Amino acid sequence: MTQAFLELRNIRKNFDSFTAIDGVSLQIPRGEFVTFLGPSGSGKSTTLYVVAGFIEPSAGEVLLNGRSLLGVPPNHRDIGMVFQRYTLFPHLTVAENIAFPLRVRRRPKAEIAAKVDEMLRLVHLSAMRDRKPAQLSGGQQQRVALARALAYDPQILLMDEPLSALDKKLREDLQSEIKRIHAETGVTVIYVTHDQEEALRLSDRIVLFNHGGIEQIGTGEDLYQRPASAFAAGFIGNSNFIDIEVLENRNNIGDVRCPDGSTLSGVPLMGRTQTGKAQIMLRPEHIRLTAEAEGIGGHVTDAAFLGDVMAHTVLTGWGQEIMVRTPRQMFMGPPAGVGDAVRLGFAPADAFLFVPH
Amino acid sequence: MLMDFARLGWMRWLLCATAGACTLFLLAPLVLLIALSFDSSPWLQFPPPGWTLQWYAQVFHDPDWLASFITSLEVGSCVTVLSVLLGLLCGFAITRGQFRGREILRGFFLTPMILPSIVLGIALYSAFLWLHIAGSFAGFVIAHLVLALPFSVVAITGALEQTDKSLEDAAMLCGAGLWEARVRVILPAIRHGLFGAALFSFLTSWDEVVVAIFMASPTLQTLPVRMLGELRQDLSPDIAVVSSLLVLATALLMGLAALFQKESAR
Amino acid sequence: MADAIAVKGVRAAQAAPPPPAPRRLRNGFAPAVPGLAFLLLCFMLPVLALLLRSLTQPQWGLQNYAALLATSTYANVLFNTFAVAGLVTGISALLGLPLAWFLAVAPRFWSQLVFGIVILSMWTNLLARTYAWMVLLQDTGIINNFLIWTGIIQNPLPLFGTMAGVVIGMVYIMLPFMVLSLRGPLAALDASLFQAASLCGASRVQAFTQVFLPLLAPGLAAGGLIIFVMSLGYYITPSLLGGAQDMMLAELIAQLVQTLLNWGLAGAASFLLLVLTLSLYAVQIRYFSPRRGKEG
Repeated sequence: MTQAFLELRNIRKNFDSFTAIDGVSLQIPRGEFVTFLGPSGSGKSTTLYVVAGFIEPSAGEVLLNGRSLLGVPPNHRDIGMVFQRYTLFPHLTVAENIAFPLRVRRRPKAEIAAKVDEMLRLVHLSAMRDRKPAQLSGGQQQRVALARALAYDPQILLMDEPLSALDKKLREDLQSEIKRIHAETGVTVIYVTHDQEEALRLSDRIVLFNHGGIEQIGTGEDLYQRPASAFAAGFIGNSNFIDIEVLENRNNIGDVRCPDGSTLSGVPLMGRTQTGKAQIMLRPEHIRLTAEAEGIGGHVTDAAFLGDVMAHTVLTGWGQEIMVRTPRQMFMGPPAGVGDAVRLGFAPADAFLFVPH
Repeated sequence: MLMDFARLGWMRWLLCATAGACTLFLLAPLVLLIALSFDSSPWLQFPPPGWTLQWYAQVFHDPDWLASFITSLEVGSCVTVLSVLLGLLCGFAITRGQFRGREILRGFFLTPMILPSIVLGIALYSAFLWLHIAGSFAGFVIAHLVLALPFSVVAITGALEQTDKSLEDAAMLCGAGLWEARVRVILPAIRHGLFGAALFSFLTSWDEVVVAIFMASPTLQTLPVRMLGELRQDLSPDIAVVSSLLVLATALLMGLAALFQKESAR
Repeated sequence: MADAIAVKGVRAAQAAPPPPAPRRLRNGFAPAVPGLAFLLLCFMLPVLALLLRSLTQPQWGLQNYAALLATSTYANVLFNTFAVAGLVTGISALLGLPLAWFLAVAPRFWSQLVFGIVILSMWTNLLARTYAWMVLLQDTGIINNFLIWTGIIQNPLPLFGTMAGVVIGMVYIMLPFMVLSLRGPLAALDASLFQAASLCGASRVQAFTQVFLPLLAPGLAAGGLIIFVMSLGYYITPSLLGGAQDMMLAELIAQLVQTLLNWGLAGAASFLLLVLTLSLYAVQIRYFSPRRGKEG
């Protein structure tokens, strides 16, 4: 196997009594767009700051091109970073901000000027070159920050929730901007966010963090279709969890019993062999409301028309609320209204089985 | 109703009357000083029998006043430079350091503020007598630096706390070393705090008299020490002139500070 | 070394100079060292040495403290100190409250003008201000002349060289501090609070005594404490405006050093002043927000 471009080996970080990251290992090839996704406090930002060099890990190794980065101060790591808040230097103009890293490196004047022009074109801000940061909108400031971080052709670009301070519309514009810039420059990007939609939209691969460790690494589709854990299933997309009991295991396909006593057969057991208590996860769009005698019984407590889908909340016999989303083209007959008795049907193969810890 | 001027009712007249009296109380002595400085009578008669500029001429031609003025400027300038420099370093330690006891350190830097000046004055006097530097320029600077440093630390830590630490991080990732980042990025960002620190440091030294009494020698006196000496002897119109000039300087400085504040708000 | 890397240019990290030595022990304390060393050497050490002198001169023991507390002259000085500080604090609160209140509610122009005057007087040189009061308070000074001219009094009031003069001069200096201390609490008062009080049936006086004053009490107490502490250690104004019989603690300390050369007793008096000051500041920090007042 070829050597990874950036490799984290078993990184740990303890602050006083609390462990922020606990054994994070990861390999990132050159040019990849990787997102660190996870709830706040999951260790994703800490890991990013370890790569940047602002946090020294308690144990582990960070390798770039096979060479250790530990002990190399941030200013010698050749890494670009865009921060959550707009960290433009307030006393410098847009052009001077972008030129700053090149001036610090004492590049020739002509080269600096050319590079600044190139960067301004890249982020479509040539008209703003002589403005001060305070005269720019949040989105423009973040684009300047991006240009500054890329001006010195860094080996890696780190982005720490760069869009979290912007409103939704602007955020989506900038997401496509970031995607375009990644495609144009081919820079390796590590992008931290807690927004699953942003992660799915941008990344080649997503690293899902939880409790200071990596829960799962994969493409967005991997995480959605094949979540490795209940946490992963719950964090990406919407999900319903139902407590069940595995009754029998036949060649990795099982019979399970739902809390209302109904049984299902044909549930994939995902390699879990033992019988007993477990959970299945069902995506709302994988459940349909049927009038058949099969399936889990309940009645509708909420029904909302959301344009292309119809969203129902169904209260089951054992008192759990289940979310159901039915695409428009699947509507059959008049949609169920609040109070209607319904049955929930799904293909057993769509159920994910987890054994809770 | 109590926080609404239009609806205070009878309380409004009471409030305006008291506030007016207080304002008069605060303003009258300052106006008096200026009037006296132009008073043609050397006996500080009020209202003045006539107006004159002779006391101004007298002060401007008095080498002693000039010497003490220069001394005050020199001491104040040295104190300002050192105070801002030390304050800046301390500010970085207090706001960016990651060691235990940062808050204790911050508190310690403020203690000279609460110590009665007279205690500091005689404590330093005693030490300087022992070191044989009593009455020296260095003694003056050391004493006033002790008093000025807390103001500088407060102003600069305040400014640093309002400045995002990621600015420093961003500059370092751009390739700047820690202190290069601080000098090129953080200093411009906190320039108002630095100006405030310099201003407070200078004024602390410029106006200080209690500690200065013990630092002075017959040949080395700051302006306030010389003023105090004069006041102890008699109430000459000279003091009215110097005081008026000081009031004027204060007003100018306040105007300057207001301008600066307006500029920083933009 | 940083230069070398920069000169090599584009791909410095790949050109692989030996990485700078790991700086694992950096915790950012080092920049504090010069300032800390300065304050320890030029502030803590001299003050501690002075306090030590109170125990060692003329010989080891507590004789200086015994003398300070037992001699009636010195007891009188302590009484004067507390009396002046108390009066100054009380009068400053009485005048500062309406003034700060006016600043909070008056039309913008008037409130800015008056606030400008408050700040101008506060920033004016202490000696200049004290000089003005020396002129004003004389037996033949403006105040007495005016009062005699109007016929209110026949003989001049004894203002200069008395405790009355000291109190007037010090209130002049302390009043701005009270105004600044009350500015924050007053700005935090919500006008709708008093609309509510009024709807509850409270008259203006009731709203003042039962809502306004209780809400401002912490600000008054904090400002009062600062003024009291500062007054305890005040030297210049009392020494210029007061008489020999009204001597305060700071004047006593200065006199002990300057004319009597009694360092032991001066050290003991300093220690007393220091303990009073520090314990009152401890009260301030314990019961009121730690950093308020001086900056306003």
